[in-house]
Amino acid sequence: MSFWLARHARLALVAALAFWLGLAPVRVRAEDVHTESRTPFLHHIPLHDTQGRLISPPPVVSEDGKPQEPKANPYSPAQTCGKCHDYDTISQGWHFNSDAGAVPPGRPGEPWILTDPATRTQIPLSYRGWAGTFKPSDLGLSDFEFATNFSRHFPGGGPGEPDKIKSTDPQMGRMNVTGKLEIDCLICHQNNDGYNHEARFNALRGQDFRWAPTIAAGLGVFASAKSAGSIADSWRPGRPVPSTLPGIKYDRARFDTEDNVQFQVARRPSVNTCYYCHTSDSETSDARWHGDLDVHLKAGLLCVDCHRNGLDHAIVRGYEGETRDRVISDAMIALRMGLIRRDDPALREDDARPLARRQLQSEAGLVETLTCRGCHTEGRLGSPRPVHKGLPPIHLQKLSCTACHSGPFPQAEPQIVHTSMAHKLGLPGPARGKNTAPVILEPVFLRGADGKIAPFKMVWPSYWARLNGANLTPMLPGEAAKIVTLPQPSSDEAALDPYNTKPLTDRQIQQALASFPSETSKGEAVFVAAGKIYRVEQGALRAAESPAAKPYAWALAHDVRPASQALGARGCADCHASDSPVYFATVTARGPVQITNGVSKTAWELRGDDKAAASFFAFTFHFRPLLKCLVFAAALVVLGVLVHYGLRGLGAITAPAAGGGGRGKERP
Amino acid sequence: MMRPIGKLSYAVLCATGLFLAATGLGTFAAGKAPMTHWVLMAHVAVAPLFALGLAAVALTWSGLCRGGVDSPLGGPAKAMLWVVLLAGLVVTLSGVVPMTPLFGTKGQHILYLTHRYGAMVLTAAVLLHLPLLARRKGNGQGASSS
Repeated sequence: MSFWLARHARLALVAALAFWLGLAPVRVRAEDVHTESRTPFLHHIPLHDTQGRLISPPPVVSEDGKPQEPKANPYSPAQTCGKCHDYDTISQGWHFNSDAGAVPPGRPGEPWILTDPATRTQIPLSYRGWAGTFKPSDLGLSDFEFATNFSRHFPGGGPGEPDKIKSTDPQMGRMNVTGKLEIDCLICHQNNDGYNHEARFNALRGQDFRWAPTIAAGLGVFASAKSAGSIADSWRPGRPVPSTLPGIKYDRARFDTEDNVQFQVARRPSVNTCYYCHTSDSETSDARWHGDLDVHLKAGLLCVDCHRNGLDHAIVRGYEGETRDRVISDAMIALRMGLIRRDDPALREDDARPLARRQLQSEAGLVETLTCRGCHTEGRLGSPRPVHKGLPPIHLQKLSCTACHSGPFPQAEPQIVHTSMAHKLGLPGPARGKNTAPVILEPVFLRGADGKIAPFKMVWPSYWARLNGANLTPMLPGEAAKIVTLPQPSSDEAALDPYNTKPLTDRQIQQALASFPSETSKGEAVFVAAGKIYRVEQGALRAAESPAAKPYAWALAHDVRPASQALGARGCADCHASDSPVYFATVTARGPVQITNGVSKTAWELRGDDKAAASFFAFTFHFRPLLKCLVFAAALVVLGVLVHYGLRGLGAITAPAAGGGGRGKERP
Repeated sequence: MMRPIGKLSYAVLCATGLFLAATGLGTFAAGKAPMTHWVLMAHVAVAPLFALGLAAVALTWSGLCRGGVDSPLGGPAKAMLWVVLLAGLVVTLSGVVPMTPLFGTKGQHILYLTHRYGAMVLTAAVLLHLPLLARRKGNGQGASSS
């Protein structure tokens, strides 16, 4: 009996378990959960630290009745956001993949400019290898130093987040203490304007890489006054990481009873969010109110309406021909394969992979519809089709859209422009002036890789270097500061000129070059500035134009001016006049030397155009009205003759028919 | 006989027309269309002369080319001159109208193509007209004014 009962009890238990398993909701991984609605999902989520541990501030009072501070580790965007959004896929996006060797560099863009007013250094840097820039490693700049210099406007990932940290490396090893510079998703995706860039900058200045996202998001404050950087200073590479690293004192009000924190997250970042890193203004200081801003923004568009991306964060840069520069990453293929096989489980992996690649390649073609030409031809987003009345079509072959529509209206000389990345815009500091390094000029009309004339921004490198044969080895500011003796401003001068913009005289350059120790094996001491190389020859300073000192230029596209303010809206003479900036603007190289010492060239010269042809063509436009009158008059005469004899001929044919007779002889 | 002004205008028409064909159609035939720089400037500089020559030919030759009029020109030569005048008018207008703010990109492109293919017809017409004139003269029937 008992056996019978026991047997049936076991069967009932198994049946109950089977029933429960059948009805219980299937457990799904967080990254596989999606809302797939256009309504933003309310991110009411738990925080995780870099180890993936849940962040749960201790209760206000401990079990033994003592008050407790809400201290805990800083949160990790990779571990927190990455729970649902595939971090590895995101980290291959354009903002984060600059140091990934397999990524095509694409059209040259804005570089990072290593600027040091004290040594008058300004060196364009890029991991992408754009011609005219230096790779940080070429200068001996480690990824850690790069992150320290530029993390103020660098969203993290890439060089800030190496796969492996060599503990014995005196530079990179510090990341064991400071933490990696993870992609801070909230820089772009926090939509309540509550992201504190200044707090992030201050945290990063102290090399508190791991702590910066928490501080910037306003989730808490440092629990200790000691920065990670200062702890790293007293730590020796190769030794265990100190256990006394600062924590975060969290704001309890941000946590609910289940330790969830509410984030106001936007899938589509606002314009102001993009402006933090992508402000570019030639109307500086108090003249900012003069500008109209970009016509697209005034029409209500967001930057991300054109500069879109999927989960891979491969943001559309928006230039023609970008499709060929886009990468379809393995992560994206894997993601797409998952979707394909979800819908068609019978499909084998070997078949799904090429299908996924084909789909992604096909979608990459959409990128071209998001260029100026693509959008305005397709009529996307309600964009008006360009009419271009009176503009011969050759202009559309020879000019980029931006040539006429983008940047400040060209003048006899390009204007000085300040950018976020170059001038630390968005962070409080003394007002930047016209001569604040690096001096960047726009618009300079050059020919792009596609052969079309387009407006560019331009900056000239400036640095102390050793010239050994044909090899020029630039010095980092720290190294130069140890060798070069330059006049330093007094406190009064520094108050008036906080960015030390006073140009160097020839005498000062010569003295500085003379202060280099004569090490012939390392090469000759030289100074590169404003398009020239300065060197001391037989006791005298010589300056000569050099390809090594040539400027770096990158195409500009914003702000876009409306058609009524485009080049040519006032007539052909906007470009085809003897003083037109497109051909005859004077572009003078700028740097930490007297402006008269800079290499000066006209726009046609920079493009390698024929000056005589440009001048003569402009001259012919004086006669353009006469030409039109003559040709129209001649055409009118010919038309008159044709109509006259045409009607007479018609009359000759129809008259006899009307009179009922045969073909009559035409009257003389 | 044809007045000197008529001969001169015909000579101007032929000379400038052939020059314009060489620059314009030559560039096209060389696969380098559209013209730019010096070639374009030369083309545009000569174009008014061609237009004036065309107008002068229209005024001086049209009377000779009327149907039914006793003229030293044969039927084919007469007909070909009207083709020259008509094609010349098309080419002239399609060359100058793009300089006005009347047409947008599409219209400009159509005008450009009209100019190109009109110029081909015109060049062919002029090249055909020349031997027709020469044949008449070869037959001892030189052109004379009405």
